[in-house]
Amino acid sequence: MSERRFHSVSATLVLWLAVVLAAVAACRSDAEPARFPHRVHLAGIPCGTPGKPACLSCVSCHDLARHDSGDRLPDAAVCDGCHQDAHKSRAILAVAPVRPSGEITIDHDKHLAMPEIRGQCVPCHAGVVDPKRSPLPPMSTCFGCHEHAEQWAKGVCTPCHDAEALRHTMPVTFLRHDNAFLRHHGDTMAQSPQAQLCQSCHTQAQCQSCHDVTQDLTVEKRRPERIESGQVHRGDFMVRHAIEARSEPAKCLSCHTVDTCDSCHAARGVSANVANPSNPHPPEWIGNNTSSPNFHGTAARRDVVSCAACHEAGPATNCIRCHKVGAYGGNPHPRGWKSSQSESSEMCRYCHG
Amino acid sequence: MRRVGRPLLASAPSVVAWSLLAVRPVAAQDVSVAPAPKQGSTPPAAKQGSTSERPDRFTVLGQSETYVSLYRQALLPGQNGAQVPTETAVPVHEYLFANARDVDAPWQKDAIGVEFAAWGRLWPTESSSERPFDGDVQTANVRLDAGPGWARLGRQQVAGGAARFARFDGATLGVSHLGFFAEGYGGFTVLPRWNATAYQKLGKEEDTLLTVPPVQPERSSHWLAGGRVGYKTTRVSGSLSFHEQRTEGGVDHRLLGLDVGGQPMDRASVGGSALLELDTGRFATGRIWIDAAPHRLIDLGAEYLHAEPALLLSRQSVLSVFTTNGYEEVGGTVAARIATFLRLEAGGYLEAYEDNGSGERGEVAARFAWGRTRPTLVRLALSRVMAPENGYRAMRASFSHALTSRLGATLEAYGYFYDQPIAGFTTSSVYVGTATYKILDRLDALWSASVARSPYAAFDAQTMLRVTYRFDGPGRARFQ
Repeated sequence: MSERRFHSVSATLVLWLAVVLAAVAACRSDAEPARFPHRVHLAGIPCGTPGKPACLSCVSCHDLARHDSGDRLPDAAVCDGCHQDAHKSRAILAVAPVRPSGEITIDHDKHLAMPEIRGQCVPCHAGVVDPKRSPLPPMSTCFGCHEHAEQWAKGVCTPCHDAEALRHTMPVTFLRHDNAFLRHHGDTMAQSPQAQLCQSCHTQAQCQSCHDVTQDLTVEKRRPERIESGQVHRGDFMVRHAIEARSEPAKCLSCHTVDTCDSCHAARGVSANVANPSNPHPPEWIGNNTSSPNFHGTAARRDVVSCAACHEAGPATNCIRCHKVGAYGGNPHPRGWKSSQSESSEMCRYCHG
Repeated sequence: MRRVGRPLLASAPSVVAWSLLAVRPVAAQDVSVAPAPKQGSTPPAAKQGSTSERPDRFTVLGQSETYVSLYRQALLPGQNGAQVPTETAVPVHEYLFANARDVDAPWQKDAIGVEFAAWGRLWPTESSSERPFDGDVQTANVRLDAGPGWARLGRQQVAGGAARFARFDGATLGVSHLGFFAEGYGGFTVLPRWNATAYQKLGKEEDTLLTVPPVQPERSSHWLAGGRVGYKTTRVSGSLSFHEQRTEGGVDHRLLGLDVGGQPMDRASVGGSALLELDTGRFATGRIWIDAAPHRLIDLGAEYLHAEPALLLSRQSVLSVFTTNGYEEVGGTVAARIATFLRLEAGGYLEAYEDNGSGERGEVAARFAWGRTRPTLVRLALSRVMAPENGYRAMRASFSHALTSRLGATLEAYGYFYDQPIAGFTTSSVYVGTATYKILDRLDALWSASVARSPYAAFDAQTMLRVTYRFDGPGRARFQ
């Protein structure tokens, strides 16, 4: 495929994407379903008098003894007892309430028995009669009675919140994972005991989804549908990785060792550790006399991590050939450099031995 | 599979714990399911407090992910740009995760936790560069709580502070009381994977190219140890940490870390960290940051970073002694939700490299989201990166939509425009699409495909199938 053709294909795909977006946007008006008319059912139906049906209460439809949220919602057969339009009833029942923080583990029986609540659902679920509020109580309602200050301070969310649901829920308070959180999440983790805070929601395996560089499939390949995640390797990272490494050289070393770099570079023949390597460096990178620009020295001072990506090979490093004590490359240590290791240590002896 | 032995040893504590756990659901108190109340019946509030002892309530989560690579072409050229011969293969990857939390122990409620994660790969056909079997145990440990103390045994990780991120087979002990906490850990380093000769060279073909054949590392000479002490309250937290890692008997890393954080007001938090490399007595990194939400619809973040990358190399690296140059980075992010369906995001960072050169990176994005039951998301982003010798402009358009309650799809397009040609090309493009289908409540399938053209591949095409199975269904994770 020629480059010109490729660009025309690209333009076509972008245009197609725009059309799809516009079409979806045009259809958005039907996205929001009607809320269940709780108020009408609880207070708007004549009941309790001769010839009328029994008055409804919350437990007329909701089975609070069940443990699964789905089971607490009524079956359509309950609606069919009064409604003739079974299809409509089922359509409304199919719209489960949105639970942004997942299902809450709560003992309804115990709460309903409390003197402050006296068997009433509405004190917590005020939204069922107030269309401006959510039928599910916010967490501040829970804290209105409970004393969970200690768990709150530690960030312990279970067992009220389900661990599985929390996997996909970002906290909405002081722990929220927005803005630059990804950049300093390691700092945050260091400020609390390992057992608490992060690990009240996350498992170690989740950390390793990103940080385990030995896995064969990177997290970008495993989670291609997560279009909002801050995964650094998405898109054409293979090409731009050298630019990224130059831009933020310390960032790569958060997960990778230089072996990671050399594994690929060796396979592509641009490593100093392979036979007959391709030389990626420009002319006069290494000079044979003092009048040569010797660009490599400046580059190494500025970004030695990139050098290490190919040239790190312990005593086999070709840097030593010129820079060991007595060789013509000179002292490579920068001004102000020091080490607590003695010259007799194994690593120092490569040059000083 | 050649590396079965050691990971199994590492996972031994988990095997025992899982065996114990297997009988717990039987031992747990059975909570009968009451029939649905009839109209006019008494609310269940009348049935209060019939049990005197709380049953064991613990969480067991399990998940299997199977990946089948259906096709891929021109991922990368071979050595010196050589054509890679066509191979017919259907590699299959399997990831397994399982964990249990808050299991009661004889000495304390909610005192046992177990975690296991592993992956394996089958390459069913003959290949010049891939092993027929591969795999690793990522995590296999058991956690025990007793009063203010706790212990974790097995394959695990330590993250944050001086350790940054390290995996090891060993033990961690910790205690916390009145906001103070102390932890210590030690064990044998996991990386590189063991029982695989020269794993770090990624495959047998690459091994044959090396001028210096890698040697099988002696594991007893690769170990790490460290600890941290700290204090945490609602408003203030901080820790001092130490991490020493040895490679082939020599110092790999010897770091001292300081992390502090605070929430001076409800809508702002600040933090800082410093990493002192003890061998050279220099700071490898130093960072301060602030996050603030001056309005409920606006988020702000600012950060300053100093880093000296050579200090993050292993002290066994010859190149780690060649420079003390570092760089400074300062920048921030802002996000504003200007409508219920629209959020604008922007971020930018400036870098100043010691000796010479500067860089910058920034992104502006608009995020549109609507629909509650069938959510749709569109995100458009423009970014710019300038590094000392090259840079690029990038565009990214992302789209996801739930077509039905079970069927969803995503589309993404990336375009890159490089300041300097790379292998003669100045642009690259990537298009990715996925379709997900919830077959059952516990069973999901995903199909993904991508095409790309880049300086390294004239036409890159890949497609993959992923099947995810959860051993626990939504809402049934907690046994009661």
